[in-house]
Amino acid sequence: MPVLKTLAAIAVAVLVHLAGVRMFPGFAQVVDVFLVVVVLHALEGNSLSGMLVGLLVGLLHDSLTSAPFGLFGFADTIIGYGTARLAQRLVIQRASGVFAVVSFAAVLQQAVLVTLAFLLLPDSSLPDPVWAAVKAGVCGLIGLAAHIAGRRWRRTAESRRRSRMSRLRLG
Amino acid sequence: MEERRTGWLLVVLLVGQLVFLAIQGARGSSSDTFLEAWGLRLLGPAARTVTTIPESVSGAREGLRLRGSLQEENRRLRREVEELRLQLLQLTDVEQEMRRLGDAVRYSAPPGGRIRAVDIVYADHVSWLRTLLLYTGDEPAREGQPVLAPQGLVGRVVTVAGPYAKVQIITDRAAGVGAMVLRTRRQGVVRGSGQGEGLRLDYVPLQADVRPGDQVLTAGIDGIYPRGIPIGTVVEVTQEGQLFHGIEVAPAVDLGSLDQVYLLDYTPPPPRVREALPGARP
Repeated sequence: MPVLKTLAAIAVAVLVHLAGVRMFPGFAQVVDVFLVVVVLHALEGNSLSGMLVGLLVGLLHDSLTSAPFGLFGFADTIIGYGTARLAQRLVIQRASGVFAVVSFAAVLQQAVLVTLAFLLLPDSSLPDPVWAAVKAGVCGLIGLAAHIAGRRWRRTAESRRRSRMSRLRLG
Repeated sequence: MEERRTGWLLVVLLVGQLVFLAIQGARGSSSDTFLEAWGLRLLGPAARTVTTIPESVSGAREGLRLRGSLQEENRRLRREVEELRLQLLQLTDVEQEMRRLGDAVRYSAPPGGRIRAVDIVYADHVSWLRTLLLYTGDEPAREGQPVLAPQGLVGRVVTVAGPYAKVQIITDRAAGVGAMVLRTRRQGVVRGSGQGEGLRLDYVPLQADVRPGDQVLTAGIDGIYPRGIPIGTVVEVTQEGQLFHGIEVAPAVDLGSLDQVYLLDYTPPPPRVREALPGARP
């Protein structure tokens, strides 16, 4: 079941990314929905799963860029593992905490990508720092919104389950 | 214990990926991999679906809205066809004249290629790592195949996965095109400037005469693109260092407005011939 949930989240991220780029040409410059999925999944605290999902999602993202294949795979593997390890040590429940973690992950991802690009590509250029900051903020907001929506959905499902159980007991 | 094993696995994965990236870097950024082709095959259909749905909806809506003006457009297009036929006749005449003159001096023109239209299913021409994804249908694209738009050069195919092909756009920082200034035939290399959608024309010496407004075309010297495809227009010329001009070029093609491009079936000189040239680096 968690595997299906993760695959569904990745599929939704792919569709949102493709539709976003189709509708707004600058979408990929300001949002990285793939990263949001990796971070939110890793926040559950399983470092192995966080790392593997990071790798898979990163490689999928690599298929949609002109960079050497594996650049996002490398960065997202680190993000997935690092976030999961962080979640094991800190209880990140508050919305502001999720916002901070996703935003920081976006900054870290950009830093890893730029470092790798400079090491591996002969003529690398820096991404615009303003857009990198905007991306971190927007990713944080999307992560926050997804976290709140997920929490509400879980609460609703839980209350439904309880009312059903109580009806069963009464019956 | 479990965490320790995961830590080791992380190290192995990261080192493996670094080696993989380094090998790609050494082979050139355009080298495709099995995994990349697999990713393209997986995401290509999704990209195509996302592109097709809004197009068919808006197409149907447009069809209903424009029904009245179609007759007028039809008349205008017929007139245009007539004018184009006339122009074609004149140009055929000119072409034959040129052939006759070429034959007289035993000049063999480089072979022109067949072009075919293909759809763009994913276009990211703004972000740092920009790319286009094409759906080429039953006839797959070829690696290194030039990609054109009616206004000029778009880029070249770098990865092919079945009916999908990934394109390196000329505004990509890693892309390089052998180019020449049309007015003076001075050659240089066009690269993505890394800032927005601009281009730079590098390695043009300070002695060369280059002015804003000059047209820049492919030079046919890189073993990838044939000669004479418009790349862009010079917008600014500055002195950069003591040897070369700093030349900013505006691309001929508005990459943001593309929904279809053309693949050019062009056969570059065989690698054996290119490698035999001293200093040649395709």
